[in-house]
Amino acid sequence: MRLPTGLKVALLAALLTLAANLAVVGFIRWQTYDDSAARIHREVIEEAAVLEAVYATGDEAALRRAITDILAVRDPHYFAAILDPSGRPEAGPEAGNVAAIGRRPAPGYRIGRLRPRGAHASVDAAYTLRRLDGGDWLLSGRSFGQRLAFEQTLERALLLALAIAVLLGLGAGYVLARYVNRRVRDIATVADRIGDGDMTHRVPLSGGDDAFDGLARQINRMLDRIGALMEELRLLTDCLAHDLRSPLGRLRARVDAALAAGDEARRDALLAGVTQEADSLMRILTTVLEIGRAEAMTPRAQFAPLDPGDLVAELAEMYEPIVEEAGVTLRLDRPAGLPPLVGHRQLLAQALTNLLDNALAYAPGADLALFARAEGETLRLGVADRGPGIAPEDRAEARRQFGRLNAARSTAGAGLGLALVEAVAHLHRGQLALEDNCPGLVAALVLPTGAGG
Amino acid sequence: MGRKILLVEDDRETADYLIRGLGEEGHNVEHVGDGREGLFLATGQSFDLVILDRMVPALDGLSVLKALRAAGVETPVLILSALASVSDRIEGLESGSDDYLVKPFSFAELLARVNALLRRSEARASAADPRLIVGDLEIDPLARTVKRAGRPIELKPREYKLLEYFARNKGRVVTRTMLLEQVWDYHFDPGTNVIDVHVSRLRRKLEDGFDEPILHTVRGAGYRLGQSG
Repeated sequence: MRLPTGLKVALLAALLTLAANLAVVGFIRWQTYDDSAARIHREVIEEAAVLEAVYATGDEAALRRAITDILAVRDPHYFAAILDPSGRPEAGPEAGNVAAIGRRPAPGYRIGRLRPRGAHASVDAAYTLRRLDGGDWLLSGRSFGQRLAFEQTLERALLLALAIAVLLGLGAGYVLARYVNRRVRDIATVADRIGDGDMTHRVPLSGGDDAFDGLARQINRMLDRIGALMEELRLLTDCLAHDLRSPLGRLRARVDAALAAGDEARRDALLAGVTQEADSLMRILTTVLEIGRAEAMTPRAQFAPLDPGDLVAELAEMYEPIVEEAGVTLRLDRPAGLPPLVGHRQLLAQALTNLLDNALAYAPGADLALFARAEGETLRLGVADRGPGIAPEDRAEARRQFGRLNAARSTAGAGLGLALVEAVAHLHRGQLALEDNCPGLVAALVLPTGAGG
Repeated sequence: MGRKILLVEDDRETADYLIRGLGEEGHNVEHVGDGREGLFLATGQSFDLVILDRMVPALDGLSVLKALRAAGVETPVLILSALASVSDRIEGLESGSDDYLVKPFSFAELLARVNALLRRSEARASAADPRLIVGDLEIDPLARTVKRAGRPIELKPREYKLLEYFARNKGRVVTRTMLLEQVWDYHFDPGTNVIDVHVSRLRRKLEDGFDEPILHTVRGAGYRLGQSG
């Protein structure tokens, strides 16, 4: 059976209250009942012993005198009497204050009914009977009247207490359920609003620093993170759309021109341009995918040990002619004895070529250095140039996907370069560092040695 | 020189385009649309080359490839895939394919790779003279020396590697991506003309002092060493 959570909490609270109260009431009842029964037993035995002592030292006449004396005190709950062998009380004030006992006499302590002399109704009493020498019985006892009244009052009080406990339990359950419901509803409301697409809502904190506040804080943190990611994603798609628009526009223009071109050589030249634009579009998309995959850590499966010095040497050799054409020099900086690196050769090479391409594009005419250096527990792979550098306040923007510092977004190649480099650094549990080269820029992948382990 | 090629491709348009193009080149193309049938044919008959789309129904391309290699079929396999990231390419090559081509591709690129693969299986069959001769160019892979018309040419190690790859594919078009993959072992698009610069350096060393050009640029495709064959 499915019950609403509020009702369940209320029922549970009421049940727990009831159980606790039942236990307490039961304990009181048991303790007091036992106690009063034991006390009455003791009193009856003691008082009987007094009369028996009188009888043992004197005779039946002395006993009768003693009974008369005791009854003269007029304790209304005390009974003493001499009964004939059949159990009927003897007549006369010296024979006691009992009119009749409810059953046949037998020696020992018992609880039963007896009727006081001069009364019409029997009362509950505890008494002892002892056979005297002449066959008569000595009765000594106490009525339960007083105890019973006390116990009845107690019982009534306990029952009342129980009833109150049930009510209080239900009340407490109701209050608790309302409280829990309200806190849960706060969270549910926020979840609903978020579900409807309004990411700005957050769960209110009660300030009590309780488990609900802890949950609320966790949910809020999660929402902040999701919000940031969504914002980033939105920015990415916006920029992707923007960056795809211009090459697509050029592509279209070239196709149109080629369709209109009369002479074949001109048409071929225009179509070659179309291929170029299509390739650059493909490149943008591939890079975006590459960044996504690197961020998802998928390529980790292809990590292998590699020599970082060899990697930069290979790339320096690959770039040597292109650097020479650009009229600058590329210095290779790879000290001997570099620690080996466990990494993705292809992606590291791609990241470093991105840094080299960036340096060639944004620091034209400036000399470059491609380096692999060990620094403490890290390995620094990167490119240093003597170009204009990036102002410290612009460095965060430079890392963003599609962020491009110079306003000229029409320059070939989308501004995905540094974002890919950063994704590759993260893939290797490292960071992309952008530092001042005084003048110029140092862009380096700072990787922990033994990355990927 | 018609060769038997098995094409496993579920996209009708791509398949038609390849069947027509390869047919015009004189090849005999057998086409199936799903992986299970492809595996069945490739193990049952002998082909010179298998062109395998990575995402085909019934059994995906990489599984077909693994099953083929497990069955001891060593036919060269060219994988076609829309999965373009570096790690996808590496995964494709590591699973036993001989080449990996990302969609969309130009027919020139595909043809260059098909010819290189067919050529390789030929070369494997005939253990011939280790020297490579292209026109008046003579390359000795053991000594790593190069002579043109008897005159020695000094090459840097990478230039030599580049030339040797060209020579092994003499008379055929070699694309920039093929060079990047085969000579540098990089499977990403560098986005700059770095390959062109290396090729033009090599060309200068090969052609300086000679009237006859030997390393030709093929527009829209790549380069070719020697006369087209």
